[in-house]
Formats: sequence, C-alpha cells, structure tokens
Amino acid sequence: MSRAERATRAGRTRPTTMTVATVVAGTVIFLLLAIPLAVQVITAFRGPFLPFGVSSARWSVDNFATLWGLREDFWAVLGSTAAFVGGSTVLSLLMAFGLAWITVRTDAPFRRVISLLVIVPFIVPPIVKAQAYLLMLSPESGVLNQLIHLVPGMADVTIDPYSFPTMIVIQSLTNVTFPFLMIVPILTGMDGSLEESARVSGAGWGQTLRRVTLPMLWPGLLGVTVLTFILGLGSLEVPLLFGQESGKSIFALKLWTLISAGAGELPQYGLAAAWGCVFLVITTIAFVIYLRATRDAERRASISGKGFRPTTMKLGGWRIPVLLAVVVFTMLTAVLPLFALFWSAITPYPLAFSFEALRTQTQFGAFGEVLADGEFWASLGRTLIIAGGSATIACGAATVLAYGIARARATGWTRSMDLFASSSVAIPAVIAGFAMFLTFMVINPVIPLAGTIAALVIAYSYRVSIAYRAGFSATLQIRKELEEAALISGASRLEGFRRIVAPLLAPTVFAVWIQMFILGTNEFTLPAFLATPESRPLSVYMYAMINPRSAQLYAPDQGAAMALIFTLLVFAIGYGLQWLVSLRAIGRASRRGRVVASATDALGAAAAAVEATDDPDATDTRSVATEQVRELSRR
Amino acid sequence: MTTTADMTEARGGGRLVVDGLEKHYRLDGAEVPVVKGVSFTIEPGTFTSLLGPSGCGKTTTLRCVAGLETSDGGVISLDGRVLSTGSEHVSPDKRDVGMVFQNYAIWPHMSVFANAVFPLQVSAGKLPKKQARQRAMEALELVQLDAYAHRPATALSGGQQQRLALARALAHRPRLLLLDEPLSNLDAKLRDTMRNELRSLQQRLGITALYVTHDQSEALSMSDRVAVMNGGRIVQEAAPKELYFAPADRFVADFVGRVNLIPAVVRDRDANGDALVEAFGTKLVTPCPAGSGTGAEVTVTIRPESVRWHEASVDRPNLLAARVARVEFLGEIVEYEAEIVHEQTTVGRIVARGAPMDSPAEGSSVFLELAPQACRVLAA
Repeated sequence: MSRAERATRAGRTRPTTMTVATVVAGTVIFLLLAIPLAVQVITAFRGPFLPFGVSSARWSVDNFATLWGLREDFWAVLGSTAAFVGGSTVLSLLMAFGLAWITVRTDAPFRRVISLLVIVPFIVPPIVKAQAYLLMLSPESGVLNQLIHLVPGMADVTIDPYSFPTMIVIQSLTNVTFPFLMIVPILTGMDGSLEESARVSGAGWGQTLRRVTLPMLWPGLLGVTVLTFILGLGSLEVPLLFGQESGKSIFALKLWTLISAGAGELPQYGLAAAWGCVFLVITTIAFVIYLRATRDAERRASISGKGFRPTTMKLGGWRIPVLLAVVVFTMLTAVLPLFALFWSAITPYPLAFSFEALRTQTQFGAFGEVLADGEFWASLGRTLIIAGGSATIACGAATVLAYGIARARATGWTRSMDLFASSSVAIPAVIAGFAMFLTFMVINPVIPLAGTIAALVIAYSYRVSIAYRAGFSATLQIRKELEEAALISGASRLEGFRRIVAPLLAPTVFAVWIQMFILGTNEFTLPAFLATPESRPLSVYMYAMINPRSAQLYAPDQGAAMALIFTLLVFAIGYGLQWLVSLRAIGRASRRGRVVASATDALGAAAAAVEATDDPDATDTRSVATEQVRELSRR
Repeated sequence: MTTTADMTEARGGGRLVVDGLEKHYRLDGAEVPVVKGVSFTIEPGTFTSLLGPSGCGKTTTLRCVAGLETSDGGVISLDGRVLSTGSEHVSPDKRDVGMVFQNYAIWPHMSVFANAVFPLQVSAGKLPKKQARQRAMEALELVQLDAYAHRPATALSGGQQQRLALARALAHRPRLLLLDEPLSNLDAKLRDTMRNELRSLQQRLGITALYVTHDQSEALSMSDRVAVMNGGRIVQEAAPKELYFAPADRFVADFVGRVNLIPAVVRDRDANGDALVEAFGTKLVTPCPAGSGTGAEVTVTIRPESVRWHEASVDRPNLLAARVARVEFLGEIVEYEAEIVHEQTTVGRIVARGAPMDSPAEGSSVFLELAPQACRVLAA
C-alpha cells in the first residue's frame, strides 16, 4: 500500500484525535451537570433522607405532598423570595444601567476611574461584602448609621440592618458589578448611526432614547436581567447573614436550614430537593427567556456596521448631580465597606467610630494573629487549589468542547450538547451546591469524595458554561480559512490546532481562567454546602470567625482582618496573573496591534471598552474587548 | 532572476485531471447537488479559470480539488496520483497543493516570515531550519515582501496580505496553485496591478494554476483556458478569445461580456453557404448555425462593440433602421441603445458601443450595421 493510500484509509476510518477529545470533553461536562441534577430530582421522589442506601428510601411523592401541606409556608417563601430577588435585581440593574450609561455614553469626568471603581468590588468575596454591610449598618456602631446621624434633622433615624428593604438594597449593592460588566459592552456595541438617523429625522434625546435606543437594547437587557435574577436567587450570603434575623425566609436560606438539621433530627434532604425542583422549574423558564433574548440580541447586533461610535451625551449642568450620585454609590460599595472592615479589624469589640476611640482603643494585633494562624494559611492554600483546579478543569473541557461543536456540522447532537453546556447558567448556586452535596453523599460508599477538596474542585467546575460560551464565540471568531490554510500548507489537523487555533484561543481562555479563578476564590455558597473543617476554603473559615454562633472560632476582628488580607491577596493574584500575560502580550501587541493586550484583560475589559471610545484608532480593541466581556459575563 | 530559477528548478507544474466530479450538500435532510459531473484537465504550467455566477459550484469544485471538501463522486488526480475518488480522499495536507484564500487567511498571531515559513516547518513539507528559512525568504522575495519579513502580518495592507498569502502558498513549491477569488477584496486599481503580477509570476514559475472568479475580465485576461460554470456544470471550456467570440450558448454569451440576444428564425441559405435568418421583420445574413434547418428558431448574438452605425443608408448587408433612445457617456466609450424600427413600429432594441468622439445624438435616426462575420447564431 502506498503512503497516499494509507493516508486515505486512515483519514476515513479512524476517528481523529480532535473528535475523540471533543467527545471526552462533552462527556465530562455532561456528567458534571447531569448527575447532580438527576440525583437531586431522584431525592425529591425517594423518601425523606438520602435516595439510596438507606431504609427509608422508596419512590413516593410524599415530599411534594409535604410541600403542599405546608403551603402557607410555601407561598410565604415564594413571595419573599420573589420580592427579595426581584427587587434586588431591578435595583441593581437600574444602578448598573445608570453607571454604564454614565461611563459609556456621557461626557462625565473621570469615567475611567468610575468604571474601575465599579469593577473592583467584583474581586471582593460576596460574603465579605455582606459582612461589611452588617458592620456598616450596626445600629450602635455602624459607620453608615453614624454618618446619617450627622445629617441635620436625621439624628433619630437609624437604618435597621435586618429590615427587609435593607436586605434588598444590600443584595443589589453586592451584585451590582455583574450586570454592570454585562451592560457596558451592550452599550458600547450599539450602532450609533441608528440613533443618529433618529436625531436627523427630528427626534430629541428623550424621544430617541425611548423610541430607538431602548427598543434596540431591550433584548440584551432582558438577557442581563434573567442572569442577574438567577445569580441573586442562587446566592446564600446576604440571606444567611441578614435573613435569619429578619424573619423572612428566602429560598436560599430555606434550603440551607432544611439540610442543616438541629440536634437529634434527620436533615430533610427529600423536602429540600422538592424545593429545589420547584425553583429549577422557575429558573428553566427564565433560561428559556434568556436564550430567546440573546438570540434576538445577536440578530439585532448583526445589523450594526463597522467603525460606528455611539455619540456621547453632553451632561452640561447635570455633571455635578451625576458625579455626586457616583460618589455616593462608590462610598456605599467600596469606601465605607472597606472602612467598616478595617475599623472592625482594629477594634477589640464593636465600637462606634470616634477620634477618641481611634486614639485609645485601636490595636493592630488582629492582622498579626491572622498571619500567625496556621488554619488561615491552610484554608488559603485550599482556596487557591480549589479555585485554580476547577478553573483549569472547566476551561480545559469547555474549550475543547466549544471548539469541537463550533467547528462540527450542526446536527441534533451538537445542538443539544451546545444547549446543555450553556445551561449551567440556569442553575442557581444554592441548588448546584445542594445537588453536588447529595451526589457526593450518594456515591460516597463507592467513591469516597464527600467533604474532600476534590469534591469542591468538581463542584466549583459547575460554572463551566462561562468558559464554554467564551470558547464558543472565540472559536467562531477564528475564521475557518485560517485552519484550512494550515492544512493546505501541509500541516496535520493536530499541528494546525497547536500552531494556529491554540495561540489564537489562548488569550480568551486565559482571560476566562482568571475570571473563573477569581469567582472560585470568592465562592461561598458551594462550600457552605460541601466543605468540612478539613476541606473548607477561606470564605467559609472567614464566615465561621464572624458568625457569633460558631462559639470557639468567633473572633470578628480577626475575621475582618482576614477579609481585608484575603481581598488584597485576590487582587494581587488576579492582577499579577494578568500583568504576567500582558507582559507577553505587549511584546506581541507591538506586532499585532492592541487587540491582545485588552483581550487578556478579563477584569479590565470593560474598562478597556470605555477607554476605547475615546480613541479613534481603537475600533478593533473595542470590539474584541466588547465581545470578551459579553461572553465572559454570560453565566 | 536567480530566485525564480530556484523556485522552478525543483518541480514543474503538475497536470490536474478532474473527471466527473460530484458534490452534494445536505440541507434539511435533502441532498442538494452542487457540482454535477464536472470534468476538466489542466496541462502542466497553464492557468485555468473557473468562471461563473455565485452558487454555480466553482468554489466547491476548487475546494474539492484542495481536499477541503470531500467529493461524492468522480476522480481527481494530480500528476497521475489519485487524490480523491467518491469514497476515498487524500487529506489536504498530503495533496501537495498551495492555496490563496479569498480573505487571505493570514495568521494574525505570526510575523510575515512566520506565515511564509509555516509550510516548511510542518510535517508534510518539513525542511531543516536553515533551508526552510532560505526558501521562505525566496518566496517573500518573489512577491517583494522580503523587506517586511519581521513585521507582524496584520500590519500589512490588503494588497500586501494578498501577496503574503501567495508567497505562503508557493513556499513549499506545490505542484498546483489554487486561487479562490483572491482579488475580490481589493480595490479596483490594486486589482488590476495584482492581476498582472499574478499572471506574470505564474508564467515565470511555470506552475499550474486553478483560479476561481466571478469576474469575467479577470478570467479572460489571466487564463490560458476558461471553464464557464453554471448550475453545477461546465457549460463551456475554451481559450479566452474563443469563449468571447464563439460562446457555446446563450448563458456563456450573456455572462462573458455584454451581448445582444436577437430572436430569429432560419429562412434560407445563400450562395456562400451563409444562413438567411429573419429578425426584426428583416432578413439578416449570418454564419450558418450547425444543425438547425429551415424554420428553426435561433438566437443571433452580436457584441455591442461590433455594432456599427451610419447616418444614412449604405450598401452593406444587415442594415437596420433605428432610433437612438439613450446615449450614455462612460469615459473611454459611449454606450447607446437604439430602438429598431420596422414599418413605423419599434420591434426591438440593440445596445451598441463606440468611441466617445463618434457617437450618434440621442433621438436621431440612424442605421445599424450588424456585420455578418460579427454575428453568431445559437440555438434558441
């Protein structure tokens, strides 16, 4: 047989390495998402405790009957969850839209600084933020209440941290960065000429906004709304810290209390699973809305031409009020929380701020104690391992699968796998945490992973959809001819992938890796369900220190010090990694234009998008950065 | 030009034979044929174009030759080596061809040099480092990009990227060069320059080239042979002049250049063996159409530039009375449209072209001469 013949035969019969890799990656992702969800649904229908291996397990609808039996409670939870999640979603969207509009579409001063200040809280773990708000709002010693008392005529007004409206506001402030990161590219990517033609047709700013701009943005904003809603539904931090005292039972907290049984009782996994099923149905509906919205958004986006630039709105006399609003926002989301944490770290017990107290009471021992605490370093190490490991698994599998699917001919299989791999955005973190917890309990007799670091790595990887969507759109941006040219030049498919595709995908993959890594270090909800003292990451250890109920660990000053140290560390690691990459990228950037440098900049991408509007040569930079953020923030 | 000699010494162009090529696409479960039995041969060192409207299957044919599409039937062979049968296919990297893509497909993360040297670094054409470098530089010299070797590829202009794509396609000295509408993204002036450069380079290297385009002037000016495709088939394969002056059917006549299509009926045959046909109510003398007898319906074609006009009736065959309906000044030529008048009624229209200095006035009555040797008769 001649060489040519052999090559021919081989090409037809043996599946290529790429195909095998795609199938393996697809299987990993499928199992990662499907098994926990299946276990949770089965648990809902099999008895009050675990679904397998216990005597009480049998098929029944008892859990749903119980749920219905307690329907007053059910409706109450549903109502307060809707109010809490819905209210905070609307509020954070309004804030995010306002801020994004200010930074992208107006001539407000310090726009770059503003967008950076909004983005920075992204790296502060939500549990730390929630704790900081708790400190800020303390009726006796909270700095925010102190500030309010300074306002003339409001000396008697005190914000109650445990009131329901306060909770909603705090939740929206905690989550506002997320919709901001998604709205900025939507605004930046808008085709300015459509607005201009409306203006030329005689419409004023207001009319243009109402009749052209908002209808154009609507599908994109709807998508952001859905994702913010699911994010809010899934986060345990604020409900856990505030909800217990407020007496309002919110879904995330309800799930949490159902499975952390009091002494002498069995935890009600079955009932919790039934709750989970109900809310999965809700988020699935939301996910379908999201899919339709993004499809519409993509359709509308494709209308836009190249080289457009949305016009900026002249603020004129509004500059001062706008700037004031931004200052208030920044005080609330960055300055005061950090100050409250710092104050808490340097005072031995909750103490109102005064210069007297500053002179006589402060001590910096907490920082030293934290640094001397072996458990701090151990949990920090675990945090880095879990965040890094899960980011690597998720990015690796998702990129391979995304590449395979984006390049495959569309069949029913690839379409359903595409949908499935994108679907983890629809799973609220509490449900994911609970489902993973059940799964590791169920398989523990066979594969003893429950409570281990490995279990946490697997659980954190459930956010694989972020990496999948990013990898998918990055692959689509690599024109197929680039690979075909490699083939024609005599490179095998593998060589083509290694030398052409991989280097072109790398900036995106790395940016997503950093983002998932930071998300991982911030994660609290998942380990709250899964971690044991031996495997707990820093976020959980920190919570134990600030939680008065964990008697022997309770040390709020150390908790606050730890939160500050940790935030600094994450900041340093995240930006350090990016800096390393951009060092490499700068070398190339001089060759390749500025595209790479900003593409690697996951956190700075939105900032880059904002900067680019000031720079007439940066259309490419902007479109790449825009695409990056849009994809990165799909979760 | 030592470089040129170096480039050609190793290997002359290959002989490409495509025989009965078939290709279907699946669309909503149905098989849609795109290429329906295309056959042609390209002799070593010659330049052949596939010309046709979009969707005619020309690019698919090219991609089948490249191996980027797997054909569903027919045989493709290069220098006697079978590349593709309906069921077995040599993968593109083992076909020994070079290709220039419509959008260049320059790798943005590499320098100009890295792009050009790539084919000499990968498995099929791997050379020792030093030799690879030398060859790549030769290829860049060929397209006058050697001075830009260490620039980032994306810093090149459109025309330069085009040339780099060409250098890359030639670097591993393939037997066959495939070009997929390589000039369509360039502006008009650059396109003309590149057309000449491409053709002279191909002739100097003596490489076999297969060129796909929808632009008839590109095909006519560069090619040794042109195959006109329509609906997945080759409708005519010929040298450019033959194609233009002796189109095989109405489609080719109409697609290649502009043409007047005049419906006519064969009436008789004259002493010279020419045909007498009736068109516009008048008898015209035309070359004799093959195989159509008296009474057959035919189409008489004549190129606009072959139509001559006279102010008054002259003693020439095929003279038609006409009124000039529209005159359009196009710079180097004037195009005018005349209504043919027969017994006081308008019976048809003829488009004609002439020198700008010498054109009839709009609205004037003229006589148009359709010289018999300029006419061609096609089956209706």
